[in-house]
Amino acid sequence: MSVLEIEKVTKTFVEDHTTVHALDNVSFSIEKDEFVCLVGPSGCGKSTLLRIIAGLEKASSGRVLFHGKPITGPTPNISMIFQLFGLLPWKTALENVEVPLEVLGKPKDERVVIAKEHLKMVGLKGFENTYPHDLSGGMKQRVGIARALAIKPEVLLMDEPFSSLDELTAKTLRELVLSIWRNRETLPDDYLMVSHNVEEAVYMADRVIVMSPRPGRVIGEVKIEVPRPRTQHLREPIYFGFVDEVVAMLEKGNNDCAIKNHDR
Amino acid sequence: MMLGEGASGLRRYLMSVAAGLAILFVMCWIIENFVGYPEIKSLPLHAFSTVSRITLTLLISIAWGVPFGILAATNKTASMVITPIIDLLQSIPILGYFPLAIGFLFALGPIGIELSVIVLLFTSMAWAIFFGVVGAVRGIPTNVVEASRSFGFTGWKYTRHVVLPAIMPALISGANLAWSDGWFFMIAAEYIQYKGDIVAPPSGGLGYLLARASYFYKDMNLAAILLVFVTSIVIIINSLTWHKLMERTKLGMFRPISLDLSGVGKLQVARMTGWVHFTRFHWPTSFSLVTQRLRKYSRLEKALALIIVVSAIILILYSEMEHFPTLRMIRDGLANPPGGELVQLPVLITLTMGRLAIAYGISLAVAILLGVMAAEHKRMASVIYPIYDVGQGVPILALFPVMYLGLSNALGAPRLALEITCVTMLVLDMIWYMFINITSAVKTIPPDMKEVGQLFGFKGLKRITHLIIPSILPAIVTGSILSWGTGWNTIIFSEYLPSTEPTIQPVSVPGIGSLLDKAGYEYGNTVVLVAILGVISTIVLLMEALIWRRLLKKFERYHVEV
Repeated sequence: MSVLEIEKVTKTFVEDHTTVHALDNVSFSIEKDEFVCLVGPSGCGKSTLLRIIAGLEKASSGRVLFHGKPITGPTPNISMIFQLFGLLPWKTALENVEVPLEVLGKPKDERVVIAKEHLKMVGLKGFENTYPHDLSGGMKQRVGIARALAIKPEVLLMDEPFSSLDELTAKTLRELVLSIWRNRETLPDDYLMVSHNVEEAVYMADRVIVMSPRPGRVIGEVKIEVPRPRTQHLREPIYFGFVDEVVAMLEKGNNDCAIKNHDR
Repeated sequence: MMLGEGASGLRRYLMSVAAGLAILFVMCWIIENFVGYPEIKSLPLHAFSTVSRITLTLLISIAWGVPFGILAATNKTASMVITPIIDLLQSIPILGYFPLAIGFLFALGPIGIELSVIVLLFTSMAWAIFFGVVGAVRGIPTNVVEASRSFGFTGWKYTRHVVLPAIMPALISGANLAWSDGWFFMIAAEYIQYKGDIVAPPSGGLGYLLARASYFYKDMNLAAILLVFVTSIVIIINSLTWHKLMERTKLGMFRPISLDLSGVGKLQVARMTGWVHFTRFHWPTSFSLVTQRLRKYSRLEKALALIIVVSAIILILYSEMEHFPTLRMIRDGLANPPGGELVQLPVLITLTMGRLAIAYGISLAVAILLGVMAAEHKRMASVIYPIYDVGQGVPILALFPVMYLGLSNALGAPRLALEITCVTMLVLDMIWYMFINITSAVKTIPPDMKEVGQLFGFKGLKRITHLIIPSILPAIVTGSILSWGTGWNTIIFSEYLPSTEPTIQPVSVPGIGSLLDKAGYEYGNTVVLVAILGVISTIVLLMEALIWRRLLKKFERYHVEV
């Protein structure tokens, strides 16, 4: 059985008195130990979809199943990393990681041990008592990753986690996430990342799901068969082949959409 | 025209103007026919004169605030001179200067009186516009400034294409605040107590009528009816002008601030004032050289030196007082009543600060409660926000005498009644600043932050203590600064109820505000008046330096960067 099943999810909302169709009949599933990436143009509803999976928003119709049970709200089994980090500015790095543990009812000393351990894992040993205000963007996202992982989720959702970082920092953090993913013993089994960076998606994911412009639909899926670790294949045709395939799909989706709008 | 939707929009707009006017005329007619007092007979004229007076003052405030604001924001030298002066003027109780500032205008006769009313209104209206403009000009993003420079915009072209559009939203919300302040203070401005007399503008006004109903006739019903009438005027004019303007300016501006009605202005003014206070003021170099040299000495040595210098200056001044006419005048002023009461100053300050602190505590608690409720329940928000819109403009001071009389009859203890009335007036004045700051902060909590809370399961109290309260703390501080500022203004009115008949003694509670009133209204003692103003200004500035500045700095990191 799949870990996550997205079944015919549709989302519409009203903004400034006009109805917006964000998602249209989206279905796919994620198997155990899979790293899946959703790519699509801006405004195709991929972030909305991620929020529906996280239980932060409700689908207008359709449902999301987690181990066969419908998701009705946020659960500690599914955690998330935000594009703008979402750290609480009034809490230190350590306290930020502690927060979700506190909600789970863990005692203080245990919380501190777990939080310290996770900050160390993301390379922030020594920054426990620093406030987000004084951390760089990359360090903030490290705190975000530590916080998401501290509650030991089964699924990790990532909403464009590297797109507000400079390329060098983004590269380091991609490696960090991949190294955590490779360590199958303790940490999340499944990763679902939203991105608009095709090269990043092909580099990281087992499978890339391509979405169309608004209303977001799934228009294709590419299984990335580049052997891991992929760093050594980054200059090779096999890598670029997959990148081109995804880009072609995205362009086709864009053109179809333009033609449709033109006819209208 | 306002809606920009062509002829049908214009027609609809004109119809709503006509409907608004019709409602007001019907109200006028009803009030005129059912109220017996002679002054009420020309109610529409009174209304017209107040509306045009506030409008005229608003235009003057804009004409003064825009160029000076732009100058203070763009020119370093100008900013060094203008900003501290305006800052100081804004933070000390302007109302206290009334008797000082207008004495000489009264000499000009009826026109002088009309002028002084406008001057008084101006002193309470102009600041919001000035600080709004300064903030907006400074907030123009660097990339926009650089881009326009690279296209060769300079001087007037730059002002017209970049600066003016950029300040529009701030100007509109600042003008709206000024407008509300004008309505709030009109009762003080149109009913001036000067050396034991009551001076009213020859063309009348709603503030005059209200004050007359309340202070002279002491007629609760009449005051309430007039207050309802004034509130209706405020609501109708707001919905016909400000609401439309704000809707229109929402679009196409570079400022990342949402221009909600219940909004922005005060928060922005507050941030701005905070910023202006704390980072813009540079000591001149010669002064910093002196301080550098002073640093070599220990604290005790410095304190001793300071005491010696100050006492030497005082001794010299005192011994020279006989020889200089101004100094003699000062000594005489201090010798005359109520100069003797200056001895009790520490007690009076404590009493007044106590009242302000109680009123502040109540305002803070209520504002946080309402703000959090507005954040947690959308339906509550739709009830709470409009209250602010109307509430802050209602001249609540009008209720002062009637509330006092009612309470003192009910309780049988006049002193207690005046204390309660005083604190109530303070709360009703201070709460809006807390309220506007907190509600607009609650509204602007980034959705990211809320999602994080949801994702990790914050609920109920935890959500409030971990998420909502910390994210509004900076706004609470800026709101506190503003509400204490306005509180000092109101204390001057609320500790002292003047008498309208010569046989009756005015009533007052002991405090620094009532002492100021006695000095100004009863004795006309300018020296004592200035001395008290100096004391109040010192307290205000000290509180800013010792409390607010530190808190602001501490909470700086709470600002969520997006």
